Amino acid sequence: MTTTTTADPSAIMRNAIDSACDRVAPTWPLDQFIAVNPYWGWRQMSIYDAAAHLGTLAGTALTMPRSWFRDEFAAGRLADHHLDAGAAVFGDPGLADAAREQLLGSHASNTPALTRLPLVTDIVDAVPGAGPLPGRTWADLVAHQIGQHCAGHFDQWQATWSPDLDHTLFDSWRTSLAITHGFGWQHGSRWARAQLDILPSAPAEAIAFVIHELGIGEAACEAYVTAVLASVNGWAAWCAYRRFQARLAGRDDGSIIDLLAIRLGWEWLLANDTADTGDNASTLTSLSAAWDTMAVVVDTTRQSQRVDWVLQSALERTYQDTVIDGLATLQPDAGTPEVQAVFCIDVRSEVFRRALEGTSGSVVTRGFAGFFGLPISYTPGGSALTRPQLPGLLAPALNVTDVGMDRRGHPVDVDRSGTLAERQRWDAFRHQPSSIFSFVETIGAWYAVKLVKASLPHRDQPSKWEDEGLRHPHNRIRPRLALIDDDPRAAAAHAHRVLTGMGMLDGFAPLVMLCGHGSRSANNPHAAGLDCGACGGQTGEVNARVLADLLNDVDVRRELGPLGVDVPESTWFMAALHTTTTDDVELFDADLAPDSHRQRIIELQRWLDIAGDAARAERACALGLGHALKSQRRLQRTIMKRANDWSQVRPEWGLAGNAAFIVAPRWRTRHLDLEGRCFLHDYDWSRDPDLAVLTLIMTAPMVVTNWINLQYNASTVDNGRFGSGNKVLHNVVGGNIGVFEGNGGDLRIGLPIQSLHDGQTLRHRPLRLSVFIEAPRAAIDAVIAAQPVVRDLVLNGWLHILRIEPSNGTVEERSNENWTVRQETRRDAR
Amino acid sequence: MTALHDSLPLANLPTWSTVLVLAPALAASCGSLLIGRASIARSWGLARAATGAMALAALMVTVLRMTRGSQANGVVRVDNVTVSVLGLICLVGAVVVRYSSVYLHGDPHERRYARRMLATLAAVSLVVVANNVLLLVAAWAVASVALHGLLTFFGDRPAAIAVAHKKFLLARCADACMLGATVAFGLTFSTLQIDLIVERALASPSLPAGARIGIFLVALAAVLKCAQLPFHGWLIQVMEAPTPVSALLHAGVVNLGGLVLLRFAPIVDRAVETRAVLVVIGVVTAVVASLVMTTRVSVKVALAWSTCAQMGFMLMQCGLGIWEMALLHLLAHSVYKAHAFLSAGNTVRQTQRMQLAVPPAIPEARSLLTGVGIAVALTSALAAAWTHVPGTAPLSAAAWTLLGVVALAVVPLTTPCRGRVRASSIARASIVPAAYLALHDLFGRVVPHADATPVGLLVFTAVGFTGLFVVQCAFMVSPQGRFASRMRPWIYAGLFLDEAFTRLAFSVSPPPAPKPREAALPHPLVVTANPTAHLPVATPAAPVAASSR
Repeated sequence: MTTTTTADPSAIMRNAIDSACDRVAPTWPLDQFIAVNPYWGWRQMSIYDAAAHLGTLAGTALTMPRSWFRDEFAAGRLADHHLDAGAAVFGDPGLADAAREQLLGSHASNTPALTRLPLVTDIVDAVPGAGPLPGRTWADLVAHQIGQHCAGHFDQWQATWSPDLDHTLFDSWRTSLAITHGFGWQHGSRWARAQLDILPSAPAEAIAFVIHELGIGEAACEAYVTAVLASVNGWAAWCAYRRFQARLAGRDDGSIIDLLAIRLGWEWLLANDTADTGDNASTLTSLSAAWDTMAVVVDTTRQSQRVDWVLQSALERTYQDTVIDGLATLQPDAGTPEVQAVFCIDVRSEVFRRALEGTSGSVVTRGFAGFFGLPISYTPGGSALTRPQLPGLLAPALNVTDVGMDRRGHPVDVDRSGTLAERQRWDAFRHQPSSIFSFVETIGAWYAVKLVKASLPHRDQPSKWEDEGLRHPHNRIRPRLALIDDDPRAAAAHAHRVLTGMGMLDGFAPLVMLCGHGSRSANNPHAAGLDCGACGGQTGEVNARVLADLLNDVDVRRELGPLGVDVPESTWFMAALHTTTTDDVELFDADLAPDSHRQRIIELQRWLDIAGDAARAERACALGLGHALKSQRRLQRTIMKRANDWSQVRPEWGLAGNAAFIVAPRWRTRHLDLEGRCFLHDYDWSRDPDLAVLTLIMTAPMVVTNWINLQYNASTVDNGRFGSGNKVLHNVVGGNIGVFEGNGGDLRIGLPIQSLHDGQTLRHRPLRLSVFIEAPRAAIDAVIAAQPVVRDLVLNGWLHILRIEPSNGTVEERSNENWTVRQETRRDAR
Repeated sequence: MTALHDSLPLANLPTWSTVLVLAPALAASCGSLLIGRASIARSWGLARAATGAMALAALMVTVLRMTRGSQANGVVRVDNVTVSVLGLICLVGAVVVRYSSVYLHGDPHERRYARRMLATLAAVSLVVVANNVLLLVAAWAVASVALHGLLTFFGDRPAAIAVAHKKFLLARCADACMLGATVAFGLTFSTLQIDLIVERALASPSLPAGARIGIFLVALAAVLKCAQLPFHGWLIQVMEAPTPVSALLHAGVVNLGGLVLLRFAPIVDRAVETRAVLVVIGVVTAVVASLVMTTRVSVKVALAWSTCAQMGFMLMQCGLGIWEMALLHLLAHSVYKAHAFLSAGNTVRQTQRMQLAVPPAIPEARSLLTGVGIAVALTSALAAAWTHVPGTAPLSAAAWTLLGVVALAVVPLTTPCRGRVRASSIARASIVPAAYLALHDLFGRVVPHADATPVGLLVFTAVGFTGLFVVQCAFMVSPQGRFASRMRPWIYAGLFLDEAFTRLAFSVSPPPAPKPREAALPHPLVVTANPTAHLPVATPAAPVAASSR
């Protein structure tokens, strides 16, 4: 049975299409811009193989140029002796010397060029003077045309006159005028129309037809379609997002197959347009000849990239040393804390947590995923918008909306439909074609005032866009989970799950601060990328407030008792939001706190202010604000102005620099300055007998940190493909889909250059994530064995797993299925 | 107290004042020159100081106009147009330079950028004050060349090079037109002083043929430089330059065609063929470009089509002889568009805000008709009432025609929603015609307008904008209907006008090759394997597209 189905050419084709589509990682829209590992579809391959394939098919590198490693070596960030361990991965000690030669030797070479196998567009472009216009290549033009077509199809918010959406992406492309009328085809536009009519109307059939016509062999078929899809990587990622969302909701979306068919349609048209001039035969011959060499080229690439990987691992191991050397080996005596503060695992929290811990010995901080384990979506009160407030890989299970209260605490309706409708009409007046002229003549001059106002510095906090059209002041509206009132027992079950995950089932301090985070930047299309990724690219405010509300509820606390959690009556949960741009912390719903806690809250606010000053001072130099360091007030004002500045393209450094994820009790790292480069998750293995918590950490937060880490790395090593280029050229597409760099072209995904580079130096040095877990060997091995995703990431080298031995704090690394102690790399041992 | 109105003949401007009037241009050029010697750290400080000096000088020119009245000499002139447009340029210049100083921080060539930006501002301020045709032509050409340096700031992007080249070709054609006009005016009136040319043209009983040719060439140059169809492609595609360059271009450079026409306004009024060309090209561009705008998928390109349409509207107003509104349009559009470009990063926030509201239902034809009825009644009532206010000027036929455009514009505010119209909506809608009438009156007091407009041109305008309104209603009421779905692909493609023009232009003069540029992040070096055996080709990693619509 199996043999017959695989021999079936259509089955081979189907498999090729499916696996090519599965290679593409999704990209989220800009208003929910969460980090994505762009190599996610390749995780089942070892990173070294994947790099060789990606280089051959897409022309992208996964490591920095060798000259950069030389600079790192010169700066002392790459230790010579780690090269041997890096070479051991490949079982070839000679590689260490080859790598050493790159760093020290006189024979240091530049990174060898990647060999990318050609598409028809490349072959046509290689003929001098064959471009569609002087100075333009077919490859650019095809990418641009496809970009315009996809944008027209998927746009919901920019254009007011949209195409007929009854047609699929592929259908409307086949009938599109742009292809036939937009270019000077050698055979004329009638010919192009006739060609398009020959193309089968079902995308899968069209793909099979073109592959056959182009003469691509069965062996190279999958690789070729993967390469074709990679040439429209941005829109492929958007289609993959649509498919991902559809599948999360139990449906499917085939637009990625349509896109593949469209891009192949171009290949075919271009191959045929050269037919009569005698080039067609040579075009097809060189195409199939090139793809017949695929396996060889991949292998050559893999061989030549081994040196780069040795350098890369040595760099990562050198960084790991700094963490390993610093870990505490003895648990200090812990007093009873006055305040427990739970922060997101985000690397930016590390700086603030350290600062807060420094203000008072009675503050204890913990790390947990910033959505606080609540699988919720949020509907701002009285609005038509519902958005997810949880990691992108999950589907929301509960909805939260705002509840309004009047001055005396009675519920009131949150209604803003009237105001919003009025604004809609005004927007129509501003944007409709017959209105724009009169709008400019009557209202336009007012924009002179707006221009001046926007150019002057201001420090006040901008109003939240979610509050648009609300008549009630913001503090009388609170998000609340309806489940608390409907079914306290079910709500308590959620609360219990969250507390278990946090490892906070007892020992509650009188005040527990649940601190989400968000950023503040003006005029920034990628603003959501600086907010909390675990909250779906939103601020963590809603999640923190909802959880605090849930845990403060009397009924819920009563129902928690039978589940084994006894929250003392004297404990109050306080929601807060850490603004990572300005290092301010805002406390929410303080008016609900019992009087007994008033003094404590005032004290906490004071500590938070002091911590804010320290955190700002720590971040100031990286932001180029060293000159404002003399006075704390001045620094604070400068940072506020900066956050509100509409011309600021580097409001903060986000997660740049991220390099490690430490899953351990806080005392292991509390004394360390981790430079805002580490994700920190609290975990106590002794309270996790069935490994449920460890499994959750390794399948959820660890995957999220891997996505963030590889997004930053990919955007750095190949910004042209996996980054979004220069912010000064960004042009938002479809209101929220993504950005073009300049006029058009492919959709740009990933991070802009300004999020990675300050103009002088790289702010993100690409290191694969080092995950430190404090747990017994067997526990970690068990999770790796049981969870396919974790296994892929660990065994295929997409991240490093290191183990902290609970009893003595020694660190072991996992390589080739074995655990080896890393302690001898300590500086004092060398 | 001096006269509000700029009435000819202008008084003689003393020579010492010439220096003052040239001061904004001098300040900007000094800034540009000094930056060449300064460190990067100081160059933006210098640039900001230069724009500050420009603003100060512009303020003094304004004081000069207010105390001494409208004056001119063989080099420069000081009148209401000079003062208002100079003020605009200084405002936009200061905003854009401040914005750029943060926005471009860290770019390896930010100093070069600052120099070119100040050079552009200097040339533009010279265009604004020039009273000599030759000086005007030269300054306009220099502004274009300096801007070219900004448009090719990312000279490694083939698309940037291609579009800048396209603009370069068109601008040189416009320069040729202007030189032709200079010769024609010079031969006809034996002077190159603009106010004297106009004065002498008015003195002759009928417009001499030389003046007719000259003004036609000036209008042609304005059409080319204001990116009118089918020469609009470059304006749409210059998103390959940093955002503040777009803001400066759309607010302070592309509209200079309107300013130059304003200088020759009385001659335009007497040359009916020139008026016809301006009205026809202006109306067609306004109608087509504003429709294309509604189909655009990216924010900056939509803004560029909007500018194209707005420039058409402005040139149409010039042709109709409603110069006061043309000036208002030039000023108001500039600040609006500068703001729109500089805040284009807010698009995502705007989208989120839009998502808060329930999407509006597709309007019914009947409620749209009601909306039109209310809007027309409201506008005519306000206009009729306005003419009875003592001291207001009577409304010309052209003004009434444009009030019709205003009435159609407020229809979105007067259309019933769920069967009823709120009083607050009507109140808000009435602001628009009221503001229009007030501004029309105000600008009518400072800028002269034509005595009469040929009826044919008014009819053409009325038909054009009614047609625009009808098409707009058609795709709103029945977005998937036959008319809308057949028309949309053509509109989405911009009628393929730019494709045809580009092919023609580049066959005459192909664009130069892109130059490599220092990059912040590494590009993997990629070689395409053996595409044709003899030609290995290195390709950049990022696909770069060359055009956009």
